[in-house]
Amino acid sequence: MRQELAQLGNGAHALAIQILGNPEDAADAVHDAFATALARPGAYDPGRGAFKPWFLRVVRNRCIDLLRRRRPTGVDVELLPDPGVSPEDRVQEQERDAVLRHALDALNPDQRQILVLRDYLDLSYGEIAAVLDVAPGTVMSRLHRARIALREQLEDDDE
Amino acid sequence: MNEAGDAVAGRHVGENLSGYLDGELTQQERQRVELHLADCEECRGLLADLSALRERMGRSGLSSRVEDQWREDMNDLGVQFSRGVGWLLLIGALLIIGGIVIFGFLGDPGIPVGWKLLMGAFYLGLLGLFISVLRQRLIERKTDRYKDVEI
Repeated sequence: MRQELAQLGNGAHALAIQILGNPEDAADAVHDAFATALARPGAYDPGRGAFKPWFLRVVRNRCIDLLRRRRPTGVDVELLPDPGVSPEDRVQEQERDAVLRHALDALNPDQRQILVLRDYLDLSYGEIAAVLDVAPGTVMSRLHRARIALREQLEDDDE
Repeated sequence: MNEAGDAVAGRHVGENLSGYLDGELTQQERQRVELHLADCEECRGLLADLSALRERMGRSGLSSRVEDQWREDMNDLGVQFSRGVGWLLLIGALLIIGGIVIFGFLGDPGIPVGWKLLMGAFYLGLLGLFISVLRQRLIERKTDRYKDVEI
């Protein structure tokens, strides 16, 4: 389970950032979710679906708890240097990601979450419905609206 | 989506375009979308845009941590947990052993009452001192702003 959790860390962090608005609070939420998953391994029932959506749901619930107590601040994610990428490429990559984050910030939290769950974490519609606790039939329309909104936002930012 | 967008979605395949992109449609729905795409340049353009957007999201660095950092995070949790369990067991065992010893000492008719009172006062004093030091340490720990600073 530890190996699986370590692999899920980054994705869970990305989701938590979209909900909480800053990487520090998001890391706290993921840390708390790790504690929950490790302290109560029996809480996950393999018969009710894959581990990934279950854990992301724990993270999301923890984020909602934190949101009730904390005031969110602006997103500011520092990228770690990747030794395999040249400095010029890294700068370009950072700029592209900054534009994307800015566009995501302009969307509502529900849209940001569904985009991260599908396009960043590659969850199926059924898994997204389980994480967000919504009817599976609504995922496609919500996701499509979120994608259109992000596309429009990126176009606005480019102008 | 704005009104114009809604109208466009109604005229075209709308949300099914996302379902098509994600491979979440039934065979019949997929065929319907493919038929529409063959005749609609606008939807082909939108599909290409959504596909590029999806790829861009997937490659983005929305989280900047590396896997090892999360693994360390979990190791810290393991250490904290085992330390907590260790303290709990130690305190529990000490309380039980202490209770048995005190009960045996007080109940022993061979030991004079004066001696029992003296020993009782000594251990009560020791316990009082221990609790006061423990309380002070806990307060310090709670209010120390530099406790997480690594030296």
